[in-house]
Amino acid sequence: MLVLGLNAQASKGSLLIKNGTVLTVTKGTLEGSDVLIENGKITKIGKSLSAPAGVKTIDATGKYVMPGIIDAHSHIAIDAVNEATNPVTAEVAVGDAIDPMDISIYRALAGGTTASHAMHGSANAIGGQCQTIKHRFGTLNPNEYPMEGAPRTIKFALGENPTRVHGIGRGIVPRTRMGVEFVIRKSFSEAKAYDEAWKKYNAEKASKPTALPPKYDRRLETLAAVLNGQILIHCHSYRADEILMLMDVCKDFGVKKITFQHVNEGFKVAPELAAFGASASVFADWWAYKFEVYYSTAYNAAILTKNGVVTSINSDDAGYIRHLYHEAAKTQYYGGLTDDEALALITINPAKQLGVENRIGSLEVGKDGDVAIFDGHPLSVYGVPVFSIVDGIVRFDRANDPDDMRLDVDPIRATTTFQMAAGHHNHDRCMQGVQEAMEQLFQLKN
Amino acid sequence: MKGLPLTFTAMLCIWCLSTGLAQSSEEALKPITRTYALKNVTIVTKPGQTIQNGTVIVKDGLIHSAGQNVSIPADAKIIPADSMFVYAGFIDALSNAGIPRPEVRPATGGGPGGGGGQGQRPTGINPGAPPNDLAGIQPEQNARELIKPSEKSIEDLRKLGFTNAHVAPIGRMLPGNSALISLGGSVADNMVVKDNFAMISQLVGAQGVYPQTVIAVMSKFRELYKQAEQAKAHEKMYAANPAGMARPAGDRSLQAFYPVLDKQRSICFVAPDLKSIYRVLALQQELKFPLILGGLRQAWPLVDQLKAQNIPVILSLDLPKMEKKEPAKKDSTAAKDPELERLEKRRADEMKLYETQAAAFAGKGINFGFSSLNAKTADIREAMRRMVKAGLKEDQALAALTTAPAAMFGVSQTMGTVEKGKIANLVVSKKSYFDEKSEVRYVFVDGTLYEYEASAPAARPGAAAAGRGAAPADLSKFLGKWSYTIDAGDQVFKGTITLTDDGGKIGGSWTGADGQSQSLSSPVLKGNDLTFNSTVNMGQELSLDFNLTFDGTKFSGKVKAGDFGVFPIEGSKEPRD
Repeated sequence: MLVLGLNAQASKGSLLIKNGTVLTVTKGTLEGSDVLIENGKITKIGKSLSAPAGVKTIDATGKYVMPGIIDAHSHIAIDAVNEATNPVTAEVAVGDAIDPMDISIYRALAGGTTASHAMHGSANAIGGQCQTIKHRFGTLNPNEYPMEGAPRTIKFALGENPTRVHGIGRGIVPRTRMGVEFVIRKSFSEAKAYDEAWKKYNAEKASKPTALPPKYDRRLETLAAVLNGQILIHCHSYRADEILMLMDVCKDFGVKKITFQHVNEGFKVAPELAAFGASASVFADWWAYKFEVYYSTAYNAAILTKNGVVTSINSDDAGYIRHLYHEAAKTQYYGGLTDDEALALITINPAKQLGVENRIGSLEVGKDGDVAIFDGHPLSVYGVPVFSIVDGIVRFDRANDPDDMRLDVDPIRATTTFQMAAGHHNHDRCMQGVQEAMEQLFQLKN
Repeated sequence: MKGLPLTFTAMLCIWCLSTGLAQSSEEALKPITRTYALKNVTIVTKPGQTIQNGTVIVKDGLIHSAGQNVSIPADAKIIPADSMFVYAGFIDALSNAGIPRPEVRPATGGGPGGGGGQGQRPTGINPGAPPNDLAGIQPEQNARELIKPSEKSIEDLRKLGFTNAHVAPIGRMLPGNSALISLGGSVADNMVVKDNFAMISQLVGAQGVYPQTVIAVMSKFRELYKQAEQAKAHEKMYAANPAGMARPAGDRSLQAFYPVLDKQRSICFVAPDLKSIYRVLALQQELKFPLILGGLRQAWPLVDQLKAQNIPVILSLDLPKMEKKEPAKKDSTAAKDPELERLEKRRADEMKLYETQAAAFAGKGINFGFSSLNAKTADIREAMRRMVKAGLKEDQALAALTTAPAAMFGVSQTMGTVEKGKIANLVVSKKSYFDEKSEVRYVFVDGTLYEYEASAPAARPGAAAAGRGAAPADLSKFLGKWSYTIDAGDQVFKGTITLTDDGGKIGGSWTGADGQSQSLSSPVLKGNDLTFNSTVNMGQELSLDFNLTFDGTKFSGKVKAGDFGVFPIEGSKEPRD
């Protein structure tokens, strides 16, 4: 097993993929073409390329070569999802809790997903910072998972979740959607004042010996970076009214980049989203798991796309992340999107939402060698992922897929035969960790 | 088996009087001599260096002499130690010995459905901004102030040959500063060898309040560190020229960081698992504090890196134990499942990695200490033997117990070897300490002798047979009703466990806080250890794994509550109705 030092650069590889149908997503479909990856980057795309000395070749004859799938909303590979003790926890970051041993990473690779956005949960109006990771499964070093150079992102949440946890749960603000807006505006105002106090201190400290810096506050530091555009907002939201509300708040505070997550009623305000330049990351057809998600449609992604909103389809789930290509294909049935439009929902569009579109999300020379190879068209139910490649390294190979890919084995308990966990998919995983917290707080019992 | 300061008068007392004699009156009796001579003993002066048929003279708390041609003073009490080995007293490099579990105060105000009768809960605490003690932020605490000489943990460790321990306060992310103490004595202050040795920290969140999760603990740690830097700079500026400047806040939790900021004190981070170690290393790299890594269980992938960074390490004696599957008799003829066999082999391979960790560190020439943190006393010697069996040389194990921690704590001049002039901290065992049949017979702490009886040879085979199930175990001492208390941090659960004779096997039932009785699921009694499990419905199904060790009319142990964590449980026999 490859184990690198704390700061070691994630390993990169070279590979020639020969004679496949190359779905570039941004530059059309190239039949019988090759993709050459050298030292983790795509260096050539064309016909009859030859492999440099020592570079392995994958024969993709009859296969489909597409950019590695990107999930703009997941909670895999992290040990903590919600710090649910406060309505605002901007200072915490799931990047501090990466779990390289999470077998879900390998399972995501088995579904062609090579990168994901590991998100804080939606218990708080302003949750913690999220982390864009590459699925470099096989190393035990958590520091090798964050995608180098990816912008910082943060989770916000509107509606039922934060009002239930804090309002109903504790009897504090926010109890209502008005309260959520108030919490966000108040936090932004405090961050602005904090930022100004630091600027004032920095300006006068040389000339005024009695000047003291403001007390260091990581929460306000983070929120100031949100206001300064250094951290992108990804906001859990459902209803049209609250989506409009947050865009108004952003306008008031000069925040330009925002992606609405879930955004089931996005279709109602698609022109407004497009006008603002906001993005949307949606489920294909998942709805009715709580009151605020009853007004939903499977045409959501298509309507948003047709209105010019940068739209992605996400998993929010360790199961769905394995077949996002099926989720994308649903938009062809519900809304008649073209192949490239449908594929963009799980490749270049999530890349744009994470601010990494110059690196991943399409097959272009100069981009990272993150590739998924299918034995049939990925939007066909007969298409099966056979290779997942990250930075030119094969991380999943269907022909060489051992039963036991665990990196962490419990030495204590006797191994038992596998039992399928009682699958319940009745609420979004964004609330993970909250149940435990609530029980600790209130000893909730049935 | 009870270890007592051995004095002639005290021995007489035990001989003549009932066992009801109060311990304190025994302790109060002065020994008739403070001079002892261990005769005909094999002296392991230091790892790898042995003197056969030697004599060790202990006088006035110090090693007066150790060697072959040593004259025995007239006032010495002679201890015949033929076929015995004497070592420098062992140093537990990270421990909670002598520190009582803090009284926990509940975290939050009563909410809907809060179970009644589980103690007062103060209201008005904001879980997002709790007071420091509830948040687990108490770096200003000091082990010295917390030590209780009568804690059973001290006696437990001493019985194993430990004469000193580096003790940490018990708590959460920042429980306080540690102290190196002697594991003997009746006055806490006198036990302290070195005060304020390291600031203890761990990635352990608070119960139900901020910082609850590891992500919040990591953030809070960084914030406190930077705030401490600010506060220190402010104090310095104010001391130089206070006029016109706001007065420093004098926050004692931040002030506790100052020696760390000055690199005068290390942070001893307890980081058992690999992910925690990576996280702590990331914090260290960011903030550059002097670091000791403590309680490591899963650090083998990082051996080279820790060596390169020259970070002092303390390895855990809490070695995982394989859960044995119940032999299913009826299935014994069934075909073996090859997949299960592969999985079991991986489990065995993984266990080997835990067992060979110490050998891996020693093999790279890294000096390390051992920590008893979270280890069951009864398992510690077996853990050491397993490590030795897995490739750790006995000399290396001994170094980890003596010279290496002595160097780590800066006490090599007074501890760690059996040499003239050092403190008389000694352990005397029948046979080599790492021999399976070895027994600790005498322990000296600061020159005070503690004697342990040899175990009755006849008792062993019988006990072993019972363990194998060949003969029916004697259940009588376990049967009856026991009350228990589970300390779940912010609250305490109480109930009863009733143990019954279930056709020669242990059985019974237990009641939860709600008074509901449930039968024990798969109870297994081995020696004095009872394990069983159960499930309760707390809004969701929660599985509970009990692991209890009985000692007379008391028991203690742990309860694993699903993914919530492992909580201490203790209990005692209820008087018969």
